[in-house]
Amino acid sequence: MLHYDALVVGGGIAGGEAALNLANTGYKVLLVEKDRSLGGKMILLSKVFPTLDCSACITTPKVSEIARHKNITIFTESEVTAIVKKSKNDFTAQVTKKPRYVRVEDCTACQLCERACPVSVRDEYQSGLIGRKAAFIPFSIANPKAAAIDIENCTLCGACEKVCPTHCIDFTMETEYYELHVRTVVLATGFNLFDPLQIPRYGYGQHKNVITSMQMEREIAPTRPYNTILRPGDGKVPDRIAYVLCTGSRDATVGNPICSQICCMYSIKQAQLLMGALPMADVTIYYINIRSFGKGFEEFYQQAKGMGVNFVKGKIGKITEKENGNLILRYEDINEGVVKEAEHDMVVLSVGVKSNPTVGKMFGRDELKLDPFHFVAQDDLLGSPSKTNIDGVFVAGTASAPMDIPDSILSAGSASSEAISYLIQHQEP
Amino acid sequence: MEVEAGKTAKYLREKQGVAEHVKEELKEFNRIKRAITDTLKEEELTIAQLSEKLQMPKHDVMYYLMSLVKYGIVATGEIDDRDEYYSYKLVK
Repeated sequence: MLHYDALVVGGGIAGGEAALNLANTGYKVLLVEKDRSLGGKMILLSKVFPTLDCSACITTPKVSEIARHKNITIFTESEVTAIVKKSKNDFTAQVTKKPRYVRVEDCTACQLCERACPVSVRDEYQSGLIGRKAAFIPFSIANPKAAAIDIENCTLCGACEKVCPTHCIDFTMETEYYELHVRTVVLATGFNLFDPLQIPRYGYGQHKNVITSMQMEREIAPTRPYNTILRPGDGKVPDRIAYVLCTGSRDATVGNPICSQICCMYSIKQAQLLMGALPMADVTIYYINIRSFGKGFEEFYQQAKGMGVNFVKGKIGKITEKENGNLILRYEDINEGVVKEAEHDMVVLSVGVKSNPTVGKMFGRDELKLDPFHFVAQDDLLGSPSKTNIDGVFVAGTASAPMDIPDSILSAGSASSEAISYLIQHQEP
Repeated sequence: MEVEAGKTAKYLREKQGVAEHVKEELKEFNRIKRAITDTLKEEELTIAQLSEKLQMPKHDVMYYLMSLVKYGIVATGEIDDRDEYYSYKLVK
């Protein structure tokens, strides 16, 4: 049985920060990440608001520090299936580690396997806009930077194995099961993006030039799927781009009446980046309210207005498609109280933040308290916001509520401080 | 059981087989790849032109063509006079 001081569940920016803080204080940490790479959603973003700093430039050094830290053990492609509190500072955890079919320590990331693989499937790291191979490196700044085999789509032809110069591909790998003892737990399981298929009147999935904000994030990232910003429906360089804010947030009809906190600002960020990439393009943001509440956010909003981004206070009723792929937005102009229509080349749905339901399942029935929106409940929101209802289990980042990147890092700092304090108070004799 | 290094795919193939849909999807990708590359042998084409020649929806052409650009089989050519549509050509 393995022993660690702390188990951090989730290797995104919050989990990574919490793990680093604990490890820097001398505690042994196991960081469990479900994906093939650390970095969570942040590592896939183009830039961050309101500074427009390169997201990868912030994430990659931090992720490297986590990966190299002597006090941190990392399990990727792994899931915590159960956590049981045995006594005050003794939790047992069950972890399932899926096989990567590549020995990471031997892989040189030469990509020869990727070139040899005949399979092509939708690339989830490019939000499905292009394909990837079944033997592949998840993305260029992935950590670990090593190939992985997508066994669900692999034809087991062996082409990757034949060309691998270090013979690190190994299809005999099997799922591994671990039982651990840990003294404290930090939950940093992040969030899920709202699925816009739940609002059929917006036409996502049906109208090919209606995309999500995460797809646009990939289109404007340096490691983008296309050579420039293009419509997925026909490859046209768009001239008139619309954003629909509050897609799946502040909307009780889809079961998510709360504000997602980040959509206004990431849409304004993308609008500014689009105006840089496509100087002749018109960008219109349809909003209910702009919530620019954070440090520097209002200035960032005013900057977008100054650059020529068009803000329309309007609620979208329906999006229809013309034969040429253009989109007609039928909306209520809230200021004038009339229904209008506008034509755009491309529509970006600014999708909201939903809770990650996996977190509640790790603990026994009703053991971990969730809030009405299925985020982890903060037992003492104003006094100790990282504490959950289970003594010794702390929550970091968007596992507790929608929040932006700086707040996620602050929350992770709080969770790791609470966890360190807990470890000190409950030291073994 | 000891499996010879470099032949582990064969071991797993014999142990669990390959799902039919995976084989079908590979056939479909190869068919579309061949159709696109054969058509581009003649001239550089836009997505809309390829779609017409292949009788395939534009969004499907876009997805497969862009994947072929990523795999180094197709390259992006010039943009038209109205700065709207790029053409695409085979990598020689």
